[in-house]
Amino acid sequence: MLVMRRRAGESFLLGDDIEIQVLQVSGTRVKLGISAPASVVIVRREVRLTQDENQTAARSVSPHAIESLLNALPSLTVPRPADPGVKTLTNQIT
Amino acid sequence: MPRIRTKFFQEIDYTDSSLFHFPCGLPGFEQERDFVFVNRPGSHPLLFMQSACTAELCFVLLPVFAVAPHYQLDLDEEALAELQLPPTRQPVIGEDILCAVIVCARGNHEPPTVNLLAPVVVNLRDRIGFQIIQTQAGYSHRHPLVPQEELAPCS
Repeated sequence: MLVMRRRAGESFLLGDDIEIQVLQVSGTRVKLGISAPASVVIVRREVRLTQDENQTAARSVSPHAIESLLNALPSLTVPRPADPGVKTLTNQIT
Repeated sequence: MPRIRTKFFQEIDYTDSSLFHFPCGLPGFEQERDFVFVNRPGSHPLLFMQSACTAELCFVLLPVFAVAPHYQLDLDEEALAELQLPPTRQPVIGEDILCAVIVCARGNHEPPTVNLLAPVVVNLRDRIGFQIIQTQAGYSHRHPLVPQEELAPCS
């Protein structure tokens, strides 16, 4: 990994057309300004992780997976009423 | 009464009071704006988050306190405004908001995980929801649902 020291107001370039400028440093937070072509996708890492995780979660849900999940959960008990608006069904999972 | 097709429960009826609106969808599912939350006594404490427009899309969630009893939700001003919650205090989970985490059950060989990094937070009064990323506390997007030591083989 390339490590570089920059002060507020300084910037660096990624390739020919992406510039990242350090705008402000305060405490543990750094404010960055990014100039890049509109075609470059810029996404916070944690958002990308969540996108991928949501996709995997949605794909992996099956009646079988739910059954295994319930078997893995005996130690979790949440004795409280359902939140308002949450529908309660007694249907079998098919 | 409107009726939707669902992934696990065939067709269900719902009322406006059980439809939750996600103005930005969820990361990776930005077009999915409306969900119905379903629970079922036999599946307690799982919560099903069924898309109102895509029958095949249903997430399985757990109330955050069922997974992490000391979970610290920290909503900044922007998140409180998006959720239409008062800016002056943090909402109470279970009273003002529903806070639940998405379960990812990958398969038999990989243990199930939950995304503590990005809980689903819903304003229960206005039925508006967002998946809100919580970077401040170092929560994992793949938090093991069952503590790892319980899975370790006996020696």
